[in-house]
Amino acid sequence: MKQLPRVLALFLAFAMISGCVEVRPWERGYLARDEMAWDSDPLESALNDHIFFSKEASSGGSSAAGGGCGCN
Amino acid sequence: MQATLRRFGFQAMGSPCELQFYSDSTIEAKKASRRLAAEVVRLEKKYSRFLRDSYLTAINYSAGDSLGIRLDSETYRLLEHALACFEESEGLFDITSAPLAQLWDFRNARVPTQAQIDSALEHIGFHRLHWKKSRLHLPAGMSIDLGGIVKEYAADAVASNARRLGITHGLVNLGGDFAVIGPKPDDSPWPVGIVDPRKPDTLMAKINLGSGGIASSGDYARCFEHEGKRYSHIINPKTGWPCEGLRAVSVAANLSTVAGSMATIAMLKSRDAGIKYLKDSGLPHVYMTQEEDVGGEGLAPLAAAQTATDEQATA
Amino acid sequence: MKTHYSRSLIALSTTALALPGISQGDAPPLDSTFSYKFSNYKEDDLSRTEAPFGELERYDIDVHQFQLITPWGRNMALQVDGNYESLSGASPWFTSTGLDGEPVVNLSGASGIRDRRSELAIGARYYLENGSIGGNIGYSEEDDYRARYIGLSGERHFNNDLTTIGLGFSHSADDIFPTDASLFNRVASESKQSTSLVLSVSQIINQTTTVQTALSITEQSGYLSDPYKLFDVRPDDKTQFAWSNSFRHFFVEAEAAAHVNYRLYHDDFGVSSHTLDFAWHQNLPDDWRIIPNIRYYTQSAAKFFTNIDNPFTSSDQYQSSDYRLAAFGAISGGFSVVKNWGVWTGTLTAERYVAKEKYSGYTVALPSTALVSYTRLSVGFDYTF
Repeated sequence: MKQLPRVLALFLAFAMISGCVEVRPWERGYLARDEMAWDSDPLESALNDHIFFSKEASSGGSSAAGGGCGCN
Repeated sequence: MQATLRRFGFQAMGSPCELQFYSDSTIEAKKASRRLAAEVVRLEKKYSRFLRDSYLTAINYSAGDSLGIRLDSETYRLLEHALACFEESEGLFDITSAPLAQLWDFRNARVPTQAQIDSALEHIGFHRLHWKKSRLHLPAGMSIDLGGIVKEYAADAVASNARRLGITHGLVNLGGDFAVIGPKPDDSPWPVGIVDPRKPDTLMAKINLGSGGIASSGDYARCFEHEGKRYSHIINPKTGWPCEGLRAVSVAANLSTVAGSMATIAMLKSRDAGIKYLKDSGLPHVYMTQEEDVGGEGLAPLAAAQTATDEQATA
Repeated sequence: MKTHYSRSLIALSTTALALPGISQGDAPPLDSTFSYKFSNYKEDDLSRTEAPFGELERYDIDVHQFQLITPWGRNMALQVDGNYESLSGASPWFTSTGLDGEPVVNLSGASGIRDRRSELAIGARYYLENGSIGGNIGYSEEDDYRARYIGLSGERHFNNDLTTIGLGFSHSADDIFPTDASLFNRVASESKQSTSLVLSVSQIINQTTTVQTALSITEQSGYLSDPYKLFDVRPDDKTQFAWSNSFRHFFVEAEAAAHVNYRLYHDDFGVSSHTLDFAWHQNLPDDWRIIPNIRYYTQSAAKFFTNIDNPFTSSDQYQSSDYRLAAFGAISGGFSVVKNWGVWTGTLTAERYVAKEKYSGYTVALPSTALVSYTRLSVGFDYTF
């Protein structure tokens, strides 16, 4: 829709603000917590992806596609 | 612009710390030193025995909990190193022995009773920990203290981080534990002076460090005499009594962490066993016995009565 | 000069070099984890006004999911995923005009559908100093459908590990062989292929915040129509684009994490969509966690969507009354409760989803009468060993 460029600009701006702090990958303190993961419950995400794939027309996007199904 | 030597001092881990490295940009050097100092502070806070919300406190708080506590990968690896230290020292280097040190009140030169020692010994012993992969079960009444490893690990971590930031020539000094980021620009090593425990203004030895790290173990501050005998502040976790081995040890190795562990193990052994241990390692080292004899190998020549300048950091 | 290193030195050096601050590489997980989840998914019945003739009951599905992740050596992790689902119920067969001229839905068959689906995938991930690469292959099978797929992905860290760039590729080859094909004049055997590419960028903003953006493109070709829908004719290729964005922030004082995801989609069937979801992960004393969440979804209709099938359409004129190609909006929300006991973690989830014409953010020219609403309940556990 029309607000797309604005949303995009805001997102990029947000991603660049605040000096990035030194944080190590294996121990990020708060970032290493389960609830801060991109996918904190993989089975739940897989299930939702599967359901939305069969109930809506626009699936996929954040990760490479898994197995298809004949879901009607 | 020419790369010049930058020096940044800060306080961490209860000691004065210093970063020395070559950089051609003052701004970049300042940014880098802030990041590196932050890494030291991160480790200090994470493994502090005194902070209520430190990770180490959480671990010790889980003592007696049947569910145990989940270790992150950094703590897991530190525990693996602590296990190696325990095995290599035949049970003398023991991270569960902190309560014993607290029993011996060095400031007031008070000696605990044998009964007190025996009772404390019941809750000491790395072999008593139940530890499987990332799950640690600390038995009730026990605690762990990673103080004997974290400071040297921090020095190595800072050196590693500095290299990642693009720094190629530098030296990290965390209260006398050193780690080399890289030799000097002309490829020469960093001269590190080891302070004489008897006269803190003078050097006992000098080691030229081109890579790796130096760590020291010694009773410069805390030791006391009791009934004519001089006791080190390092307590033997098997007997519960202070060690009667060497008085001070400094070792140079491929990593400050390794150097520190070997120095501590040498201090925990009896005098002759400790000296042999150091000799067998093949590493540059210097030691002082309780009788004030100094020995070592792989040392750099020291000018007579060389004073500890601020160029050579102390041990 | 011969250097002699004592065994002690070697032993201590080995463990010291493994310390993450010194070795600075990515690493597989320390433990193995086994996870299982059981879910029941039930769609709301249609109302008599929506479907004056025949079946009212839609799908009722039971799903079992399994996953095993285990480290292998110092640098690798293996993963096995399996799932099994059994469904019963009916699905929209065709649409027609009701007695009052309004579109109505006709669900398939008096006896309904009974189907079982099994899927198995295995994968491996190899960890390197600055990232990791992985691959997986999978197979799924049901009474009338079979899929084989392969995936490859890699990610690399930059900028002192604050930035991660990921690339993923996957390809799937599917075969469709509808049941009772000759009886209902359906296609007997068809196939379709799908290839997809994803590029993602993740950024650590500070100690409590991370963001991620990902762009994907998917190309499908082959038989893309729905063989169970009487008058369904779709193009034989489809190109899809999706742009996903995620945000995670940890509130230290509250001990809670906020998850926000937004996705924009468009394909050449004419469907565009927006998805916005929000979840709040709240930690509670005694290792409890509750996760309320809400999602808003809206899509536009496919160019060839119709809510009343034209039985006389020719094969080069596309049409579909599949409600999934209609313009609609859907609001869903749910709640998860998680409890951890040492090496065990249990999860209970409930979710309610309602799709309605009036929720749509897009103009609805032709409303579908077969929009679905469902309730889902799940229970699962994780075991670390």
